[in-house]
Amino acid sequence: MDGVAKLRKQFLEYTNSLFQEEILDQQFVQLQQLQDESSPNFVFEVVSLFFEDSKRLLNELEIAITQENIDFKKVDGYVHQLKGSSSSIGAHRVRNACVAFRHHCEAQNIEGCLQCLQQVKTEYFLVKNKLETFFKMEQQLSTASQSGSK
Amino acid sequence: MMQGNIWISPNTVGFAQSMTLLLRFQLQSSFGRAMFAPKDSPEHPNSNSQFRGLKIVLADDDDVNRMVTKKLLEKLGCQVTAVSSGFECLSALSSSENSSRLILLDLQMPDMDGFEVATRIRKFRSRNWPLIIALTASAEDNVWERCLHVGMNGVIRKPVLLQGIADELRRVLHLAGESL
Repeated sequence: MDGVAKLRKQFLEYTNSLFQEEILDQQFVQLQQLQDESSPNFVFEVVSLFFEDSKRLLNELEIAITQENIDFKKVDGYVHQLKGSSSSIGAHRVRNACVAFRHHCEAQNIEGCLQCLQQVKTEYFLVKNKLETFFKMEQQLSTASQSGSK
Repeated sequence: MMQGNIWISPNTVGFAQSMTLLLRFQLQSSFGRAMFAPKDSPEHPNSNSQFRGLKIVLADDDDVNRMVTKKLLEKLGCQVTAVSSGFECLSALSSSENSSRLILLDLQMPDMDGFEVATRIRKFRSRNWPLIIALTASAEDNVWERCLHVGMNGVIRKPVLLQGIADELRRVLHLAGESL
């Protein structure tokens, strides 16, 4: 199999695995469908924005949840935001972790909240990692295809 | 040979307005799933002639959601003013140059929620101008009722999908007596 075809195959398999493992869902496909000539880097831009926002939200959560008297409404507010944006880009597991987190906020269960924050962070760093790899591979494939190799 | 599809989206007098060529490459069919599985709709949802020029104000405090929804609307041909709060929404509307036909309003905004914004708009404006559609992730049964109660014209569930937005826009405009 030649170079480009090999890259393409790897990229395909990698992408497939992200959907199989439900790290990404249909909403991500929606983003890809929105990408066009007028916004050729749309997916990358939206995902980058998601990373920025999530970083800020996770920091806020860390602070809010380690307070003496936890303001559960405030915590829930941050989780709600993260749930919304992760849902919008198709970060399926992050979204699910947020849903669970909100239940504990409602129940004002400190232990549950702490565990959920850990879970959300884990899922977030996982999807961040995977998407960074995804974009790298996409870029490699694009470069290789353009250089005219067969 | 490429398992493709061609369709023509007609405009209202039946002339071909746009042609869409769909080529099924292996790359895309592996994300397959619902990507090319169309709902039962006579028009292709990506035809950007459907809502061409429709002026919309989009109010959503979340950056990511706002970016995605704005793009979706532009893909449908709409002209979008995107704002990030209830206050900004109201001031965008009160500007004399603004003739927006429709507002898309996130219900859960921190400063002033969608219900409050709609209530204020309806205080001084008729039920049909501008039209107001709520954006909500809420799965509660009575959301629709609450929205109608404050004078909104429709509801779209988040996360937003192209077909979902197109359908609700079409429905609301139709009810207001506007054909596409």
